[in-house]
Amino acid sequence: MPEATALRSPSTPDWNALAERARTRRRMTQAVLYAILIVTSLPVVLPYFWMVTISFSATSGSTDTFVLWRSIAILVPTIFVIAGLQQGVADPRRRRRLRWAVIAVAFVALLAFVAPHLHVHNYRYLWNPDIVEDMRGRTGAGGGQFPWVWTAFGNSLLLAGAQTLIVVTVSTLAGYYISRFSFAGREGFLKSLLVLHAFPAMTLIIPIFLILHWTGLLDTLTGVVLVICTLELPFSVFIMKGFFDTVPWEVEMSAMTDGASRRQAFFKVVLPQVRVGLIAVGIFAFIKGWEEYVFVATMLFEKANWVMSLYLFWVADDIMGVDYGIVAAVGVFYVIPSLVLYLTTQKYLTQMTLGGIKG
Amino acid sequence: MARIELEQVSKSWGDVVAVEPTDLVIEDGEFVAVLGPSGCGKSTTLFMLAGIYAPSGGSLRFDGQVVNEVEARDRNVGIVFQSYALYPHMTVHDNILFPLRLSKMPRSEAMAKVERFAALVHVDELLDRRPAQLSGGQQQRVALARALVKEPKLLLLDEPLSNLDATLRLTMRTEIKSLQRRMGITSILVTHDQMEATTIADRIICMSKGRIEQIGSPDDLYLRPNSLFVASFIGAPPINLVEGEAENGALYVSETRLPFLNGGAMGQVTLGIRPENISFAEDGLAGTVAAVEPMGRETLYILRTPIGHFSVLQTSSTKRYEVDASVNLQFAAEDTLLFDRASQKRLDGVQVHLP
Repeated sequence: MPEATALRSPSTPDWNALAERARTRRRMTQAVLYAILIVTSLPVVLPYFWMVTISFSATSGSTDTFVLWRSIAILVPTIFVIAGLQQGVADPRRRRRLRWAVIAVAFVALLAFVAPHLHVHNYRYLWNPDIVEDMRGRTGAGGGQFPWVWTAFGNSLLLAGAQTLIVVTVSTLAGYYISRFSFAGREGFLKSLLVLHAFPAMTLIIPIFLILHWTGLLDTLTGVVLVICTLELPFSVFIMKGFFDTVPWEVEMSAMTDGASRRQAFFKVVLPQVRVGLIAVGIFAFIKGWEEYVFVATMLFEKANWVMSLYLFWVADDIMGVDYGIVAAVGVFYVIPSLVLYLTTQKYLTQMTLGGIKG
Repeated sequence: MARIELEQVSKSWGDVVAVEPTDLVIEDGEFVAVLGPSGCGKSTTLFMLAGIYAPSGGSLRFDGQVVNEVEARDRNVGIVFQSYALYPHMTVHDNILFPLRLSKMPRSEAMAKVERFAALVHVDELLDRRPAQLSGGQQQRVALARALVKEPKLLLLDEPLSNLDATLRLTMRTEIKSLQRRMGITSILVTHDQMEATTIADRIICMSKGRIEQIGSPDDLYLRPNSLFVASFIGAPPINLVEGEAENGALYVSETRLPFLNGGAMGQVTLGIRPENISFAEDGLAGTVAAVEPMGRETLYILRTPIGHFSVLQTSSTKRYEVDASVNLQFAAEDTLLFDRASQKRLDGVQVHLP
């Protein structure tokens, strides 16, 4: 502890030198921190960035990357210059002004060198009902093999929406009951919820296929919705139970002495307090349904039943001589709803990790 | 307003008995405190009155009518919790309005009542706030207004002041008492704080381990405790208790002989003397000062004597003794309380004095 001895020594320590050292150390830490953040976020950001640039720039159907390289050549230096400004310029007002200047330069450069190469031709599947026919001509093989993308989009919405509704309703009621009432086997039930969640669902795929076959639900959206709900429920119930645990019993008692029935107390007093939990469970359920691939790929065959993930798969797989432009464009279209959902609700999701999960 | 009667009312969960069969009558308009340590069954009793728990046995009557089976929402009882239990997602206004909304009171009348009761507890400036934006005292006032707004038959207060700081506790204590007087509502305060109980209530019910130990005025409980439990639970600093053997017309504690003045007893007897009833004197029981704790108006001395440690409360204006000083103690026979250790009951009319 050099500082400690310096403080204790009878001669006055050199405060200026100590302060200078602290400053340098702080600046070093920050620089290293920025470097690490930039490096680790690259692999996360780059694929999305690539997907978006390809979808708006690919022309030949082959993988041309020059737009990607051009935009990276402009954006990466911009990021480093901004990071450098953060370290190098002390005055916050000046720093902000310089930052905007750099961003403006980068924007102009993008307009000049990248913008002329952008187009929306790869998105034509959005307004063209038969993408294969469009690509290969009416006479070509495989005409009419694809449903319109909006059919798949509608199916995906239906699947994710229905499963959200079921998961939220059931997990709310079950979570409340487990949180408030004691019953024989409650502990075991709670533990089995976690075990069920840890269980790899993929191993069940053959039994589930057979069950759906026997019940006549194979190749129906209903069947898939039920399967995904079942797999999703244990964890959701557990989360909701944690949220109900945080609502004090007194508040409910208070409502009941205030003249509410147990049901009224639940709807008017308890439920509003677990709103964050409802939203979180709902979002997870929706995303799960939206991105589901394995079960829909196994249980759905009819093209009228295709969902977005299947559409994406067949676009990538089936359009002879893969057209990366279209695949990327479908990918962008596919990701938008989840992205919007996450962006609009992330404040609730972060609250959840703070207060929600308690055993 | 109601007269509350409990006849052999009990509550148990499986084998665990929370409240043993209890008889109790609370008169119309009376303010009663239920006092006891945590886990003594006082809150359970309260929740049975509120209708949240159903009694396991006996009958519970409001104005002579058995209400055992009547649901909480139909009992017209107001309740205030230690944690206030306000509805966090509603404004103060909506919190107070909530009971009226459930009772389907016409809107204009309900609004007027909310205003009136908010003013009564001085929260009329805060009606648009959420509970999280209020201080503890303000939340407690809102909880009180919410409990009172439907003009309940019975007001139940479950440790309402425990979460408040000392000054606020005094103010709220006075306010609750005067509100209760003005509205004449039969009220029951549950508390483990004897000060709160003795200052607020007309009558105190002292409970321990699911049983009523004693019912009486604050003076009854303090001066004439029925049992060792009541004697030791009530009073701060606590009563001095000395265990001895009674024989030949005297109580023997170690080697010291304390003759009985009135009556007599045999066997195992505990002597109790309140700290303020012991005084320093020229002669008497010899002891040394082990600790001195100035408490402002009074000073508490801990003394070591041949018959055990004694705490002694003296007004601070008298001579101050230092630690290790030798002193002599005196107490009057009429201030001694004697208890039979086997039955834990007080031996009525029996007193001892220093030889």
